[in-house]
Amino acid sequence: MQKTIQSHPFHLVEPSPWPLAASLALLTTTLSGVMYFNNYANGGLLLTLGLISTVLSMSLWFRDIIIEGTFQGSHTSKVQQGLTLGFILFVISEVFFFISLFWAFFHSALSPTVELGCMWPPAGIQVMNPWEVPLLNTVLLLSSGATVTLAHHGLIQGNRKFTIYGLIATIILAILFTGFQGFEYINAPFTIADSVYGSTFYFTTGFHGFHVLIGTIFIAVGLYRVINYHFTDFHHVGLEAAIIYWHFVDIVWLLVFIFFYYWGS
Amino acid sequence: MFARSIRIPLARATLRTAPVARFSALSVRFGGHHEAKVSQGPGAAAGTIPTDLDQSTGLERAELLGKMQGKDIFDLAPLEVHVRGTKANPTVINSRDPIRYVGCTGVPGETHEVNWLLIDQTHEFDRCDQCGNVYKWTAYEADENFPGDKGHHH
Repeated sequence: MQKTIQSHPFHLVEPSPWPLAASLALLTTTLSGVMYFNNYANGGLLLTLGLISTVLSMSLWFRDIIIEGTFQGSHTSKVQQGLTLGFILFVISEVFFFISLFWAFFHSALSPTVELGCMWPPAGIQVMNPWEVPLLNTVLLLSSGATVTLAHHGLIQGNRKFTIYGLIATIILAILFTGFQGFEYINAPFTIADSVYGSTFYFTTGFHGFHVLIGTIFIAVGLYRVINYHFTDFHHVGLEAAIIYWHFVDIVWLLVFIFFYYWGS
Repeated sequence: MFARSIRIPLARATLRTAPVARFSALSVRFGGHHEAKVSQGPGAAAGTIPTDLDQSTGLERAELLGKMQGKDIFDLAPLEVHVRGTKANPTVINSRDPIRYVGCTGVPGETHEVNWLLIDQTHEFDRCDQCGNVYKWTAYEADENFPGDKGHHH
């Protein structure tokens, strides 16, 4: 009988080595991370290998997804819906991750123990002034939210210049943010070892900083794909996911600024 | 019921006769679909943002072209049976494959639990053992003017 195209819109993926490769890479990364933190021999070397293989397997996996979606047309509107929903669920899981960090912070800050001098910030901790670098970083991140929206609207309305310049501006603002966070860390009057204040502060701002880095890479990949004509004005799931992620990181920063830098000091 | 629930996945597995066992990182790039004629738009003019019509390809493009004709190329809507199928006048099941699964809920609909039936090309007819409705496999007729049928995708 005559075979025509598949009569359903779903993308049945082909066998791929990347899930297994990514699992092994992540296993190497976590195990060697523990080795490194505990000063085992070659921990740093293995951690480097683990991180390289993680980045490599992720890159090759995402490359395959781009091939399937952009060059083979496997991403029908149903598949696009599924990818978007999956990403939103991922961001929700990230929200709960940050909820746990805020929970740890409020647990200690709302009823400071005797060991902390029954006060918050704990006795002897010299805190940062929220109206200096943290305020500047707030302005930088909020501005990057505006530029990324400019890029998004540029893409939807078919304005390539707005899209590319908007994304470049976003990436510059993001790099400035990360740079100022690094500057602040170097000049901070307390360390991660300085009571539960230092622990919760660096735990939360550090993970936020990692998310900014990942978001920057995510948007940079989007920029690369815009420049290479991967995205249409309607089908651009990758960039949309990066934008959702970026707004998420932005909102988390606002909460970090309000509660850690302002209220907590 | 248990025997049936085993039988269906088995039948499904045997149906998948396509050579999917290739295990190669290159299969995504070079495998499978490339013997097919790829439906392709002109692409974006330099310095512009492409539209889906400019640039989409493959199944995504077939879906788009179908929508432009006001048709859904995917057959996902449930089959509404208004008249009881009989041997003389069976409920016709269009299929692109030698067999097709049908979840009968009775005639009129929702009068019994879903009863999964294999409507087979080689059978004279198939009957639901819950409500007695008769189904008949019929070959799907491809229409060369219909975007869903143009590209020989698989």
